[in-house]
Amino acid sequence: MSSAALTRLRDEYLARCPTLPESVIGASRRSAAIEALCAQGLPSTREENWRYTNLRLLERARFAPAPEAEHSLPALPAPLPGFARYVFVDGEFRCGADDLPGVSVRTLRTSGSAGEAWEFTAQLPESRLALLNEAFATDAATIDVRRDATTEGIELVFIAASGAQSGACYPRVRLALQSGAQLTVVERHVGAGEGSSLVNSAVRVELAEQAHLRHYRVQKCGARAAWFDTLSAELSRDARYELLLVSTAALAARSTVHARLSGPGAELALSAAALGEGQQSLDMYAMSEHLAARTRTQQTFRGIASDRARVAFNGKIVVHEQARGTDSRQSLRGLLAGAQAEIDLRPQLEIYTDEVRCSHGASAGKLDENMLFYLLSRGIAPEVAQHLLKWAFLEDVISRIAPADLRRQIELGLAGQMSEAATLKELL
Amino acid sequence: MLTIKNLHAAVDGKEILKGLDLEVPAGEVHAVMGPNGSGKSTLAHVLAGRPGYTITSGTVTFNGRDLLALSPEERAREGVFLGFQYPVEIPGVNNVYLLKAAVNAARKHRGLPEVDAFEFLTLVREKMRLMRMDESMLSRGVNEGFSGGEKKRNEILQMLVLEPALAVLDETDSGLDIDALKVVANGVNTLRSPHRSQVLVTHYQRLLEHIVPDRVHVLVKGRIVRSGDRTLALELEQRGYDWLLGEAA
Repeated sequence: MSSAALTRLRDEYLARCPTLPESVIGASRRSAAIEALCAQGLPSTREENWRYTNLRLLERARFAPAPEAEHSLPALPAPLPGFARYVFVDGEFRCGADDLPGVSVRTLRTSGSAGEAWEFTAQLPESRLALLNEAFATDAATIDVRRDATTEGIELVFIAASGAQSGACYPRVRLALQSGAQLTVVERHVGAGEGSSLVNSAVRVELAEQAHLRHYRVQKCGARAAWFDTLSAELSRDARYELLLVSTAALAARSTVHARLSGPGAELALSAAALGEGQQSLDMYAMSEHLAARTRTQQTFRGIASDRARVAFNGKIVVHEQARGTDSRQSLRGLLAGAQAEIDLRPQLEIYTDEVRCSHGASAGKLDENMLFYLLSRGIAPEVAQHLLKWAFLEDVISRIAPADLRRQIELGLAGQMSEAATLKELL
Repeated sequence: MLTIKNLHAAVDGKEILKGLDLEVPAGEVHAVMGPNGSGKSTLAHVLAGRPGYTITSGTVTFNGRDLLALSPEERAREGVFLGFQYPVEIPGVNNVYLLKAAVNAARKHRGLPEVDAFEFLTLVREKMRLMRMDESMLSRGVNEGFSGGEKKRNEILQMLVLEPALAVLDETDSGLDIDALKVVANGVNTLRSPHRSQVLVTHYQRLLEHIVPDRVHVLVKGRIVRSGDRTLALELEQRGYDWLLGEAA
């Protein structure tokens, strides 16, 4: 990132800061964020953990939030039965259900609060894009879930409506589950058609003892969009966090996940599927820090790169001294489906204690010739056979989506994206 | 039905089939036997169009058409079926989907509408009972977690549903216990008809106790060195292949 871009970033902030809502984040915190960010500089592909990210769209970006405007909104996926839906446009709350039993959903822009009091970036090893969000966020949703919550789930739909030429969007969410609480959250990021939006979201997850969160994230932004995201999670004793990301859209996408398993017995199951085509670049960095005994992480990644696309997953597991009895597993697989496509898989393990079980496997390859011939020998057309095998490759992750309606929506979306012929839809 | 003349085929520059001649008339079941490495599986794969084999000379005519000019999927749609020696596992693609896609590909090729879903399932269930397969296998991935015997039964199930004009079964008997062998043989016998032909590629005679072939051919070093009726198979069982090795020279 050039110093010119940093100067521009600071200038845009100074010009815009008087109108940024105090009720979301106070001015002093915003200023501190921009100073910290300028001191560190924005990420660069010269850095090891950003090597595979397409940062060009970020470098050219207008950083200040897009001004409020009337937009024609895209058609949204059908509502999920039993889920309460909340819609955000350019990061700002538009509509959603009133309070749910045991769940409080507050949006800060119109709340008259004195700005969010919680901490986002302090313990993040990689906080720069979260700082950028903190400086410019125009709204934030805080969701508190009590043990007695009976809601099936909530759905957060973030629509990136403004093009990047008019400014960026900064979705911001805090999800806190109290002791013993359970919830399913679906978080969708959608764009309008060929939209060129710049999205930089920040999500904070806090799970108290024995809380259980199923969190499904679907990234389906516009074809020319850039989607950046920082997710930070803190897991207390015996908390369980199932996090699943499906990333198929945007020209450039990068998700940074940092989970701290700070209570004994805490468990993280992170699954991600990415399907990249054309010139897309889909990158994910997931770090799991084991800070207590008997903590578990399971990372599963399945990525397909076609055409000239680049799909990357960098999974880092750090087992600290006090985390005896840790069990971590990584299964990372990539499928190269284009002569100029690229898959980058990087499993990393840092272990500072004994008595742990850590396994990892990473492999990237082409479609299996034996499987392909088997399908052809049954009369299946070659292009359909290829789609089928790609489909089967992603199923490892997709089959973990528990809500049947959501899984079906995602499967239909993938089928439609992979094959214009309706062939794959019969699979469902 | 099938006429192979002077077929030469090579893998990685090494010639495996060296002038193979074979004629299988409609309605007949032929067994191709031979020692390990004689080219049996190569013959099966060349007929199905597997990539990696170079045909250096010779012709294969199937129902009057040049089979070698067709792609693997076209051969399948024309009615050629290969029963694999080692059926592939494809997790994530379920069995019933594959069956239906295969049936519809052949129907489309013949200008027929897609199969009715209900009738299709009824038919598949009936064939599964014949193959003594559990219905739960339908919704599982193709051959996923199947035992060796289950995979072979699944091959025959596919054959029964697809009703090919020419079935080439590559060592379908290998790895089967006697009960499974009977079930498989029963499946093959069910398909016998004046309009269909079957080629059983096998190393041992025991499959032929349950499926009586019209002709038996012995393949040695890439050529058919002897043909006869089913008594030839019994003779091979007693005498082994050694006495025929000289004839390949």
